Amino acid sequence: MTKVKVDENELNVDLTQSEVEWIQNTLERNPSITELGMFDVMWSEHCSYKSSRPKLSLFEDAEKNYDYVLAGPGQDAGVIDIGDGYALAFRIESHNHPSAIEPYHGAATGIGGIIRDILCMGVRPIALLDPLRFGPLKGNPHSQWLFKYVVKGIADYGNCTGIPTIGGEVEFDKDFESNCLVNVACIGLGTIEDFKHAPSRAYNPGDYVILMGGSTGRDGIHGVTFASRTLTELSEADRPAVQIGDPFTKKMIIEATLEAIKTGYVRGLKDLGGGGLSCALSELTGDGGTGAKIDMRKIFTREPNMNSYEIMLSESQERMAFIVKPEGLEEVLNVFRKYEMAHAVLGRTDDSKILRVYDGENLVVNLPAIALSESPTIPRKEKRPEYLDKLLTEITPEPSKTLDELIYKLIASENICSKEWVYRQYDHEVGVRSVVKCGDGDSGVLRIIGTDKFIAASVGTNSKHCYLEPYEGAKEGIVEACGNVIANGAKPKAMVNCCNFGNPEKPESFWYFAEAVRGMADCCKNLRIPVVGGNVSFYNEDEVSNTAIKATPEIMIVGIIEGEENIITLPFKEVGDQILIIGETKAELGGSEYHSVIYDLEGGIPPKVDENQINSRWNFIQELYKKKLIKANHDVNKGGFIITIGEMCFKNELGVKLDLKDYNNYNLRDDELLFSESVGRFIIETNPKDHNEIMKLAKEFKVYVKNVGVLSQNPIIEVKGLKSGKLELDVIKMKNLHNSTIPNLMEI
Amino acid sequence: MSVKIAVIDFPGSNCDLDTIHVLNDVINIKADLVWHNYFKESKYDGVILPGGFAFGDYLRAGIIAAHSPAIDEARVMLEDGRPVIGICNGFQVLTEAQFLPGALLQNDTLTFICKWVMVKVENNETAFSNKMNIGDILNIPIAHAEGRYYIENLKELEENNQIVFRYSNENGECTKDSNPNGSLANIAGVCNLERNCIGFMPHPERASESILSPKGTSHGKNFFNSMVEFIKKRL
Amino acid sequence: MIYSEFIIEVVLENKPAARDPVGETIRRDLLAKKGYDMVSNVRSGQYLRFYLTAENEKKAEEIIEELLNKLRIFNPVTQNFKILKLQKES
Repeated sequence: MTKVKVDENELNVDLTQSEVEWIQNTLERNPSITELGMFDVMWSEHCSYKSSRPKLSLFEDAEKNYDYVLAGPGQDAGVIDIGDGYALAFRIESHNHPSAIEPYHGAATGIGGIIRDILCMGVRPIALLDPLRFGPLKGNPHSQWLFKYVVKGIADYGNCTGIPTIGGEVEFDKDFESNCLVNVACIGLGTIEDFKHAPSRAYNPGDYVILMGGSTGRDGIHGVTFASRTLTELSEADRPAVQIGDPFTKKMIIEATLEAIKTGYVRGLKDLGGGGLSCALSELTGDGGTGAKIDMRKIFTREPNMNSYEIMLSESQERMAFIVKPEGLEEVLNVFRKYEMAHAVLGRTDDSKILRVYDGENLVVNLPAIALSESPTIPRKEKRPEYLDKLLTEITPEPSKTLDELIYKLIASENICSKEWVYRQYDHEVGVRSVVKCGDGDSGVLRIIGTDKFIAASVGTNSKHCYLEPYEGAKEGIVEACGNVIANGAKPKAMVNCCNFGNPEKPESFWYFAEAVRGMADCCKNLRIPVVGGNVSFYNEDEVSNTAIKATPEIMIVGIIEGEENIITLPFKEVGDQILIIGETKAELGGSEYHSVIYDLEGGIPPKVDENQINSRWNFIQELYKKKLIKANHDVNKGGFIITIGEMCFKNELGVKLDLKDYNNYNLRDDELLFSESVGRFIIETNPKDHNEIMKLAKEFKVYVKNVGVLSQNPIIEVKGLKSGKLELDVIKMKNLHNSTIPNLMEI
Repeated sequence: MSVKIAVIDFPGSNCDLDTIHVLNDVINIKADLVWHNYFKESKYDGVILPGGFAFGDYLRAGIIAAHSPAIDEARVMLEDGRPVIGICNGFQVLTEAQFLPGALLQNDTLTFICKWVMVKVENNETAFSNKMNIGDILNIPIAHAEGRYYIENLKELEENNQIVFRYSNENGECTKDSNPNGSLANIAGVCNLERNCIGFMPHPERASESILSPKGTSHGKNFFNSMVEFIKKRL
Repeated sequence: MIYSEFIIEVVLENKPAARDPVGETIRRDLLAKKGYDMVSNVRSGQYLRFYLTAENEKKAEEIIEELLNKLRIFNPVTQNFKILKLQKES
C-alpha cells in the first residue's frame, strides 16, 4: 500500500512509489485523484495481469495460428467461427473472493459479470457452466452453507435471466475450506455479422458515447479518504460488503443490447467492470485509436453528493457503454426507451487520442487514452515446494477392506457421487437447445436451431493431480475436458482457462502457476487446440494458516458435433453389447480419489499425459463415430475404471459381466487396476458384430483397445480375472448410494 | 382464414422465443412476439403468456405483470371467448390477474425444480386440451420455484371440472411421489368456467420436439394443436 | 423471578447503500405507472414476529438481538435489522 495525497484528499493505492513517479513523469504533472484511481485499478494485478503476463505469453497466438479463431486472449471473450455463418463466444472467470464473503450475492454477481462479457461480443448468451470447489461437506456446516447458497445464487440469477446452466463440476477438498472457488463460464451464440457489429473499440471520431443500464452508486469505492464529507453520508456499516445481484435488470440489458446491435448503428460495446466507466472508456478509445470528451454529470447516480472520483470509478453492476453512429442515435435510444432502461448520452469520441472527462466546468481526467494500458510487468520468483519429493514417494497401503466395500464407499464419496441436487435447481432446459440432459453425458450439448450442428461444452480440472505435478495436471485438465466433449460425439475446437492460484509473491505459489501455464501451453500446441481466452485469480490463500489452495487451472472446452445422429450419451443401452476400453491402465494412484477417500492420502505418483497417444485415440474414436460403431461412451475419470462402469449402468439399470484377466498389462494390484486414474481412457459400448472391424481400426490407428465384457439384464457387475478372485457388485445399491450422499448431507 | 396467435413479451419473460419457435417452426402457425406495452387484442385469435420471470418475479411471481396494459387487452379476449393461455410464469400472471382461481405458492422443497414429469389429462374440453383424451399421460418438463397450486375451495373447482391436468406417475396414479412441488390434489393446470382460459405449470414448448425429450416423445405439440383447433372451431 | 410474555417485531432489509431491486421494481414498474408518482422510493424487507418469555423488556430485546446475530437470521454482509416494536402481551 502506498499513501498518496492529492490536494486535500488521501488515497491508498496498490501502485508502488516508482509507478506513481512514472505516472507523474509521463504526464509531466501530478495526476488528479480520479486519474490516480484509474491507474490504480488498471494497473492492479486483477486488471493488468502484471505477474502473470510474462507466463501467459507462452500460449501460441490463437488468432494468428487458427483460421477459425475470430477473437483471442485480451478480448472480453474468445470467439470462434463454427461455420454456417455462426460465431460462438465463450469465457470463464473467477468470482472466488466475493463468494467466500457472501455466497449468494457473490455467486449471483459472478454470473452477472460473465454474462456481460459474452454480451460485449454482440452475441446472445445461451448457456452457463459453473465449476465450484468447497471444503468437505461432511461434519462441516460452513462448507454446507457456502455450497447451498452459491448454488442458490447461481440458480436464482441464471434461471431469471433465461440462460440455462448446462454443466459444471463440484469438488470438495479441505484445501478449499477457507478459500472456496466459484468459477463461472458462459457461452454465446450469434451470427458472424452480430459479432462484427460489436467490437470493444471506438474506432471512429464523432460517435456518441452512451451509458445504459443500472444506476451508479458508491460500489467498490475503497481506500480513499476525502477531506470534505457531509454528515448525511452513509457509514461503512451501512454499505454492503458485496453487491446485490439484479437478474431482472440484467435480462433487460441483454434484450436491449441485442436489439440495439440489430439496428446496425452500434459501433462499439463494453461492459463496466473493474475501474468502472473510466476504464471502459479508456479501453474503448485507447484500443480504438481515438479519444473522447465526456460530461460525467450526465451519469445517473443512486446516491447524493457523489464526486468525480466516485462516479468515474464506481463498480456498480449491470451497466454497459455503447459507441453509436451519429445518424443512429435516436434509433438506438428508442430501443433503450422501449425496454425502459435508464441511459445517458455522455459525450462523443474525437481524434485527439486523449480521454477528457469534465465535471461541469472542471476537467477531472485528461489522459492519453493508451497510458492506462501501458502497465508494467513484475517478474516473480519460482520455487518448487520441498514437500513434493516426500509426497510423490507415498505408496498405496494394502487394502484392509474387501474390494466391494471399497467400491461402495467410493461411489458414495462427495467427489464421485451424483450432483443431481445441484442441477435440479438450475433451469438447464430454457432456450429449447439442451439435447443431452444433465447426468446423461460428460458434457452439455446444445443444438443450434435451424442447423444440424451441435455445441458440446465441458469444464474441469483435477486439483489433486495439479497439487502433485502441476505441469502434468494442467495437461490432464485439457485432455479430460476434451475427453468429455469427445465422449458426446464432438470434436474439440477451442479452450479458455481460469487459473486459480495462491499468492504470486510467494515463489512456491508462483511455481505452481508457471508450471500449470507451461503444461497448458505445451498440451494445446501438441493437440492443436487454440487458447482463446483466460482469467487469472491469485491470492487464494488462507491468511490464518498461510496455506494456498490446491492449484486449480480450470479448463473449459467447446466442441462441435455435426449431425444429430452423431450425438452419443453415456448410459449403457442394450443387453448383449460389448464393452471396450480404449487406453491402458497404469499404476497411477497418486492424488486419486481412492487414496483420498479410503486412506486420507494426498501423495503418490499422479498420471502422466502422452499427447501422441491421446491424439491417436481421439482420431480412432472419430473414425468409429464416422462408421457409427459406438453406442455409448464415457471418459474414465475420478475413481477409475470400475466407477466409470457403474455410472454407465445406472440409468437403464443394466449389469455387466467383466473379465479383466487379459487387460492387466502391467501386472497391477487389483486396486490399482480398478481405481487408477490414468488419463485419456474411454469406455465404449459396441455391437459384437462390429468387433473385428473395430480391432482392425485400432491396429491401424495404433491404439490400445480391449474387449473387457458384455452387458447383461441382471443389474449386477460381475468382475472376473482379478487376483483376489471374483467380485460382484449390486448396481441398484451402487446407484442408491451414488444418489443419496448430497441430499443426506444437505438435509433436503 | 389463417390463425394468428400473440405471445406476450413481458420484461423478464424468457420462454417467449421458445414458444414462438414451436408455434412458427414446429406447429407451423403464424405467431407474433408482442412487447407487453404494444399488444392490441383485435389483431389476434388467441394469446399466450409465456414462462419466465416477468418483472423479475419481484414482490410476488406474476403480480406486477398482472397490472400490465397487455392484461387489459387479454381481458377483452377472455370475455369474448378467445383462448388465453398461461404457461408457468404465465399461469402465475393469470392467477394474480384473477383470470383463474387459486394461487401458486413456493414449492414444498423450497427450491427451484427443473425436471421431466408426467401429467394426466382430466378435462379434454378446453382450449388447451381438446386434442387429447381423458386419462392420457403426457411426458413434459417443469422448471419453477413457485408452482405449488393452492385453492381454498377445492371442491368447487372439482365440481366445475376446472382441473385440466394433474401430476401423475406412469400408470396415471396421482401419488405423492409423482407430485413434484406439493400442489394441492396434484394440480398442474386449471381452466375458467368458459374453458377458454387455461393456466399450466409445465412447459409444453420444451416438449414439442422429440430431440429434446429424454424419452423421444413430443407430447407438447398436443397443447398447441388444441389451441389452434379451438380457434378454428370458433372462426 | 416473574417472567412475562413479549411480542417483538423485527424487520430485515438491505443496508441503506445496497440496492434493493425488489423495491425499485415495485416503484418503477407498478406505482409510477399506475399514477402513484408521489412515491419516490420503496424498500422491501422481511418481517418477523417473535413471541417469547423474558424477565423484562430489556432482556427480551437482548435475546432477540442475540439470536438474530448468532444464528445469522439476517445476513450481516448485506442486511440490517431493526426492532420495530416491543410489547408485553396482555
